[in-house]
Amino acid sequence: MLATEARQILSRVGSLVARNQLRAISNGTAQLEQQAQPKEAQEPQIKKFEIYRWNPDNAGEKPYMQTYEVDLRECGPMVLDALIKIKNEMDPTLTFRRSCREGICGSCAMNIGGTNTLACISKIDINTSKSLKVYPLPHMYVVRDLVPDMNNFYEQYRNIQPWLQRKNEAGEKKGKAQYLQSVEDRSKLDGLYECILCACCSTSCPSYWWNAEKYLGPAVLMQAYRWIIDSRDENSAERLSKLKDPFSVYRCHTIMNCTRTCPKGLNPGRAIAEIKKLLSGLASKPAPKLETAALHK
Amino acid sequence: MTLSLLLRSAVRCNAANLVKSARITPLKSYSTLVANVQRKAVVQPLAVAKIAAPIVREISVSAPRMAAAGSSHTLLWTVERIVSAGLLAVIPAAFIAPSQVLDALLAISVVIHTHWGVEAMVVDYMRPSVVGNVLPKVAHIALIIISVAALGGLFYFIQNDVGLANGIKRFWAIKGKDAQKS
Repeated sequence: MLATEARQILSRVGSLVARNQLRAISNGTAQLEQQAQPKEAQEPQIKKFEIYRWNPDNAGEKPYMQTYEVDLRECGPMVLDALIKIKNEMDPTLTFRRSCREGICGSCAMNIGGTNTLACISKIDINTSKSLKVYPLPHMYVVRDLVPDMNNFYEQYRNIQPWLQRKNEAGEKKGKAQYLQSVEDRSKLDGLYECILCACCSTSCPSYWWNAEKYLGPAVLMQAYRWIIDSRDENSAERLSKLKDPFSVYRCHTIMNCTRTCPKGLNPGRAIAEIKKLLSGLASKPAPKLETAALHK
Repeated sequence: MTLSLLLRSAVRCNAANLVKSARITPLKSYSTLVANVQRKAVVQPLAVAKIAAPIVREISVSAPRMAAAGSSHTLLWTVERIVSAGLLAVIPAAFIAPSQVLDALLAISVVIHTHWGVEAMVVDYMRPSVVGNVLPKVAHIALIIISVAALGGLFYFIQNDVGLANGIKRFWAIKGKDAQKS
């Protein structure tokens, strides 16, 4: 019963569509041509993607570049769109990290066309005569294809203790009241807190390439500075004293690749310079403009 | 009805069990079973301990030897900056008003500035993890010898010859034979 009814409705809809089409044809061929025009113009725009491939399961196999041809007409504008298209439609074994697809998670950091950046916010070069080369972040251990091993990076981030530290922990019960911070003091964190820890800057730094196990690298140092300069944090002296050895900070030779490559437009090079100034005593952390714990009294 | 259902479910259970046992028994030998038990006994408390332990750690990831020595690079960095800035004044001064004192100052500041630059390169590139423990030390000692020798040579030149700034001026004043002809 139901099936036959459904079939009837479907056939009625189909005949309506057919009638409309007939009317369109009888209205003249000009309209038809207009409809056909964009379709003819859309000849495929084939862009070659050369992607770094390495699979640890194939013992003894060396990394190699695999070329994929993607029709840009049927692909989103960003490199990540192309990667997802390749993975969905051509090669499901292609491995890469991605999550937010809008440049806020930092998962899809990779070396695209010679620059460390986020695949999700870097546009594909429309020039199809050149292929686009995609590598994992440079000088990192590769887990597979475009996936680098970030353990050392995260461990270093952990080592700078990225949380607010107060001397009077007992007197200031957590969650009881807010800490005060003047607008001016808060503005010092602008350009620091936006970092998404994608490691584009650290992995573009030659010093980090050569001494990654001792030198903290621009991303982590910028976060170190973010906590050092926070007017609410009272452990600045201890934080600084832990950075004064010859390697943690001082392997920075102001090459400034970090600032050049940052996909969020931040300036880690400046943050490291500020740390050096604070360490040498050329600058000092100003006293908070507002009494931070006033509401706790 | 109920009886048949019961029977069917019982059969299904048996079948499932059979499949399970058939899959597992050949894979798990006695040793792996024992190992699994041990792992469960050992790993789980460890994992719990890791979560419970405070995650406050030392901030420096430098070699422990260095951290223990308490070496601070701060003073050296500050002096490096002062010398770099000072060169901006010393170099023109030495050429505008050549004298033995300014020549000596020029020689010291240029040599120490270069020394620190090359020293940074040695520390950066001569990594013990890549070239071994001996080569970095050899390179560093060689650098010190070269720097001292360079400074000594320059002092000798300042003391016994026309002086550093004058010497460089003369070097640039040399005209080729073509220039003399014209």
